[in-house]
This record gives sequence, structure tokens and C-alpha cells, in this order.
Amino acid sequence: MAISKKDIKEFAVGIGFLLPNILGFLAFTVIPLVMSIYMAFTDWNLEMHNYFRSEPITFVWFSNFVKLFSDPDFPQYFGNTFFMMIGIPFGVAGSLVAALLLNMEFTRGDGKRKLVVMMILCAVMAASFGLLAALGLGATGMTILLVSLVGGVFVIGSIGGKTIYRTLFYFPYFTAGVATFILWKKLYNPLNGPINNALRPLLDALTPVVIMISPACQAIGIVLLVIAGLFFLHMVRRKLRLWRDGETGIISVWLGMILLSLPLVFCWSWVSPTWMHVIMNTPEMKAVASASGELSFLSRDAKWTLLLMFLFLGIGWGRFLYAVYIAKRGFKCVADRGIGDSAIVDGSAMVLNMVLVGLCCVFWLLPEGASAEAGLQPPKWISDYYWAKPSLLIMGFWGAIGSNNMLLYLAGLSGVPQELYEAADIDGASSWQRFWHITWPQLANVTFFIMVMSVIGGLQGGFDMARVMTEGGPAGSTTTLAYYIYTQGFNTGRLGYASAVSWLLFLMVFTVTMFNWKFGNRYTNE
Amino acid sequence: MQDKTTRFWGGFAKLVSLNVVLTLIAVLLVLPFTWMVLASLKVLDEIGYDSWLPEVCQWHNYRDVFTMKGIFFGRWYWNTVFVSSWITFLQVFTSSLAAFSFARLRWKGRDNVFFLYLATMMLPGLVMMIPNYQNMILLGLVDSYAGLVIPASFSAFGTFLMRQFMMNIPKSLDEAAEIDGATKWQLYWDVVLPLARPALVTLTIFTFIGSYNNLFWPLVMMKTPDKYTLPIGMLSFQSSQGQQTNLLMAAVAMSVVPMIIIFVLMQKQLVKGIMLGGVKG
Repeated sequence: MAISKKDIKEFAVGIGFLLPNILGFLAFTVIPLVMSIYMAFTDWNLEMHNYFRSEPITFVWFSNFVKLFSDPDFPQYFGNTFFMMIGIPFGVAGSLVAALLLNMEFTRGDGKRKLVVMMILCAVMAASFGLLAALGLGATGMTILLVSLVGGVFVIGSIGGKTIYRTLFYFPYFTAGVATFILWKKLYNPLNGPINNALRPLLDALTPVVIMISPACQAIGIVLLVIAGLFFLHMVRRKLRLWRDGETGIISVWLGMILLSLPLVFCWSWVSPTWMHVIMNTPEMKAVASASGELSFLSRDAKWTLLLMFLFLGIGWGRFLYAVYIAKRGFKCVADRGIGDSAIVDGSAMVLNMVLVGLCCVFWLLPEGASAEAGLQPPKWISDYYWAKPSLLIMGFWGAIGSNNMLLYLAGLSGVPQELYEAADIDGASSWQRFWHITWPQLANVTFFIMVMSVIGGLQGGFDMARVMTEGGPAGSTTTLAYYIYTQGFNTGRLGYASAVSWLLFLMVFTVTMFNWKFGNRYTNE
Repeated sequence: MQDKTTRFWGGFAKLVSLNVVLTLIAVLLVLPFTWMVLASLKVLDEIGYDSWLPEVCQWHNYRDVFTMKGIFFGRWYWNTVFVSSWITFLQVFTSSLAAFSFARLRWKGRDNVFFLYLATMMLPGLVMMIPNYQNMILLGLVDSYAGLVIPASFSAFGTFLMRQFMMNIPKSLDEAAEIDGATKWQLYWDVVLPLARPALVTLTIFTFIGSYNNLFWPLVMMKTPDKYTLPIGMLSFQSSQGQQTNLLMAAVAMSVVPMIIIFVLMQKQLVKGIMLGGVKG
């Protein structure tokens, strides 16, 4: 290959345009990247290498990684990172629902009808104000505030249509940052925050009810566990049916089985004290928990639950292994086919089951709370070890409904061919069938993209929230990997160790990206 | 005739119920902001009350934020706008230049270099933060605006976004310009850049918002309180004077305002840009 003068000139011009960018690219991406690999294998520490002291940096091979995996707190931080990702399916479902609602027809018919609608709406609003005033409820400012807020949004939204609602939905996501985290910290204030102020009267009303049903609470919990188990079996059956029909390959069946089994396996951590010890690793936390007797709160039921869950797990896995490896009925198909389905549907089922098991726990705990002297108390939210992560998840859900994902779904929805719906109408499909057989499959690639991006974001996430709201606490319950890297690298100056953690993070992100590259396109084309 | 009436009222009921559902969701999402604004107008003692409404609106709370001791709110505001503007300007400029090279010029090794750019987009930013911080110490840029601006002025994502857009501008324009004897710079400046305006606007908004909200890097870099940007400023406000919820909420409300203005003004471009960056992602 001869290099001509023209080639050189073209190269020079091309690089010329690239120059400012590529200099920055080299200085702030490539060089740091190489440095980071090196640092991960050294004992680089700001206390030893700064303006005033410059002790030699020693190459320590893998000892940073060894230290990392032998750190008793590390499993907790690792688990926190994954726990926080439970919010992803909820957020995605929320934005899908929001997009579906916004995609409905707002202004069917002519302008005259709209005018009639408007007039009736205003009349209803005026009448409800009048009614409130007549009943004397309007006398409190709060009622007026809430009614006028609802009424205002209702009237403006009905007139303005899609744009107004979309803007309001997008608002929490758009403003997300330190400011809204500070706001939520105040909302969550356990003593005088507005959330607990509103919850207290509700819980006071609920206390007698709970005391009434408390003999049944244990049974309800077990019913919930049974439901979770049956749901697990149902999803296993679905998976095996798909496998038999040749719609999923063996890899995705395995992935689905593992995902589906996780909640039943992790049941133990909620019900068995020994597992609780594994999760709560800090000595102070253990002391606090054992002093208040919280560690043993469910031990009496643990055996039962274990038995139940083993039963369901055994049936499910038995069916799976029998059908796939002994009976071997099924079409042969590519091993990794349908892996997107496993990731999305089974992943969501897993989260649903986690919630069911969690609810079971709530029911087992309720009677104890209600029989206490003060009755049921609202949670302490971000200052409570158990509630801190769920609190952050609730806040995340608030921001996730109207996020970019909603906009992506809206774009996806406008791309669904209308003929499909018309054909479905002729066949007399219900709106659920229309959604499940047309909309959802048509949106599969958008969902896959959103899921993958959210998981990548989730692995690296949690820093801002932890820094602003909880400082990683209480007792490390909100410390994610990103926050851990920050505290190690920048608070204590252990840059080498922090680099090692960041490379672990990189490996996880890399795995997900590879997964996306390998299966993302295939899933789209199916 | 009767059929028509039924259909009218059926459609009406559907329309109303749809609006009711949407309104309820929207109100739930906006409630925290409502509380924020109302709390910022209260006297401190009123904060914990059940009623959200202030007895008398304390508008001076907003003025007081600027005169608090140890809180340089006006300064932080200015710092943030200053730093974000510089980052945005430099990043859009370097990204569009690079994108022009990747999308409109032909040279040996171009696609390999572009692949390298793409590959770094999936790296977690945290991996680079630690050595970058070390380098900033070496360069003596810690606690300076330059240390905030320079590392953020180059973006693989911005380059990627601009390139995707520039690829779709018809190639025939280049040829026409070449026949007219235009240099490559003229081609970039007079032909491609004006046509890539939508992508430029999108990238501008994204970058500005991103650096306006950025917490990590300023938190690591800035040490002197009066050089803080808003996010870390708010953080130090919270830790030093966090008990004064009313003033804190006033500050929060004020720091959110620029976002809202940008969003309302730029909504259309923003939505388009998310599609551009997301769907192809």
C-alpha cells in the first residue's frame, strides 16, 4: 500500500480538525486510564505522596484486590449497589404507563366538543369549591391548597393537553440534583417532615385495625409466601413452554431460572437471623440490633418459611431439569435466543417476588408494632437502617416516572404501525390483548435499550444521593460502590485502593455492555 | 341519533377519566415542589406544623439567603453560570470540530480512532476521576476554575452526538462547496455548522445542565468556600446552616429556577435531542 501525498494531506487536515479534541482525549481519558490501571496495583496514598512528602510508591501486585475482597464491609456495599437497582423495573414500568397515558387521544372530536368539556369541567370545579365551602372543609388552608392545586392542574391540563402533563411529569427528573435531594431530606425528616406529619394520623387510625387482625397476620404472611411460590412456578412453566416452542434457548432458560429463584433464596436473609448477621456486618449495628432484639424477630417462623421455599424451589427446578435434561422435549434452537425476554420479563418477575416476600415480612412485624405503647409509628426513613434504601428507592421512583425513558417510550409508541391496531380491532381484541400482543412486543427494543442503560447507570449510581442525604449511612446501608470509591479515594486519600475498586466496577459495566452488544441487536431483529 | 349521543358521552367520560388520572399523577409529582415553595415562605418555627401554608409570607427569606454569614449564595450562582458556560462553549466547539472530522472528512485510520472514542464512552467516569485528580494536583489546578473547566471541555459523547447528526447532512453540499473552491474550514464553518444547528442546540443544553448539576468533580476539586459552585455550595449550606429549613428551601428553590427556565424555553429541542442521543445510543 503506497501512501500518496494526497493521503498525507487528507490525514493532516483530518487530524487538524480533531486536534483540540484529541489532545483533551489523550490528556483526560487515555492517560488517566493507563495511570488508573497502574495505580490499582500500587499503594498510592495521598498521605504519603503530596506536596510535603514524597515517599516511593510501591508496586503491590494484587494486594489491593485481596484487601477489597477480604474487607468485611465490602459484601454489604456490593449488595447495596444491587439492591438499589430493584428500583429500575418499577421506574421503567412507571414511565411506560405514563407514556401510554400520554399517548392516548386527548382531543378526539371537534373544537365544539372540547369547549363543552371545558365548560363542564369548570362547572364541576366551581361546584366542588362551593360544596367544600358549604361543608366548612374549605375553612382550612390545606384543603383549599390541595383542591386548588388539583383543580388548577386539571383545568390547565385538560385545555393544554399532552404538553402540560408531559412538562409536569418531566419536572422531577429534570430538576434532579443536589437541590431536590436536599428537599427530600427535609420531606423525610422523621420528626417534623411533611411525610410523617401526614402519616401519623393515618397510622393512628390503622393501629386498632392491625390489632384486630393481628392473629391472622402470620397466616397472611404465609399466604403471601405461597403466592410468591406459585408465581415462581407459573413463571417457570412459562419459561419451559417458551423453551418447548423453540422461542428461548438453553442459556436464557438458565438465566431466567436463576433470576426467578433469587427471591426465594434470599428469603432467608429476611427470615433467618444468621443471614441477617451476614448482611449487617458492622459491629455497632450488630450491638444495636441485638440490644433491641431486632435480630431475632422472625426466628420462630424461619423454619416454616425455609421449608415452604424449598418446596417451591424443588418443584420448579425439578420440572426444569426433568423437562430439559431428561425428557428433552423441545425444538432445538440457538442457545442464546430469547435472552432479552429472560432479562426483562423474568427480571421483573424477580422484583415482584422480592416485594411479595418483603410484604410477608411486613405482616409478621406489624402486630408487634401495633401492640407497642404508642401504636404504629411512621418509619424514620433515611435515618433508619432498614428503611434508608427503600426511602431512596421511593425518591428515585418519583424522579423516574417522567424521565428520558418516558420520552423514549413516547417516541417508540409513535413508531408502532397503526395497521396492527386496526387489525386487532377487527378481531375484537380487548385493550389488554392489544397492549400485550402488539404494543409490548413492538416496544421490546426500546425496553431492552432502557434496561441495559439503566443497569449500567445503576452500577455506577448512588453517589449524589448518598453524599447529600445519608453520607452512606446509617451503618453503611446506603454506601454503594461509587460512594465507596469516593470515600476511599478522596476522603482518606487511598488512591491506589480506590482505583482497584473502580476497576472492579469497570469489569461489571463491561460485562453488561458486552451482553448488550452480543444480544441487543439480535433481540431487536427478532 | 341515540347512538351518536351515547358515543359522545362515552368519549366524554373517557376524556374526563384520562384527565383525572393524569392530573392525579402530575399533582403527586409536583407536591414536593409545592411544599418547598411554601416552606421557603415560612418563619422557622412554622416549619414542623401540619399546615403547609405560612401565616404571613416571608418574602424576605429569599433576600436573606444572600446575606447569610458564610453562605456566598450570589457568588456561587455566578461561579456556576461562569464555569458551566465555559465548559459548554469549549465542549460544543471541540466536539463539533471532531465530529466534522469524523463525519465529513476522509483520512486513513479515521474509523479506528472513532472506534476508540466509542469504546471509551462505556468506561465508568469514576475510573478516570482518581488519576485525573492526581494530575490536577501535579498541575497545581486544584481549587481553581481552570481545574473545573479544562477536564470537562472534551467529551466523547458530544462528539458522538454531533457526528450522528452530521452524517445525515447530504454529502452533495460538500461537493458543491468544493467546486466553488471552499476550504475545509469554510466548509465546516459556513456549510455544515449552520445545518447542524439542532444538534448544536441540543448539545449546548445537555452540557450546560450536566455541568450545572455536577457534584462529584467540584466537590473533589474546590476547597475555598467562595469558589464553590452551587451544588457543593448547597451541600455546605446544608451541613453548616441546615437547621434553617426555610432559608435552605429558599436557596433550593432559587437554584432550581434556571433549570426550569431552560426547560420551558428549550423543551422542543431537548425532547428531540433525547431521541437523537437515545434511540441510536
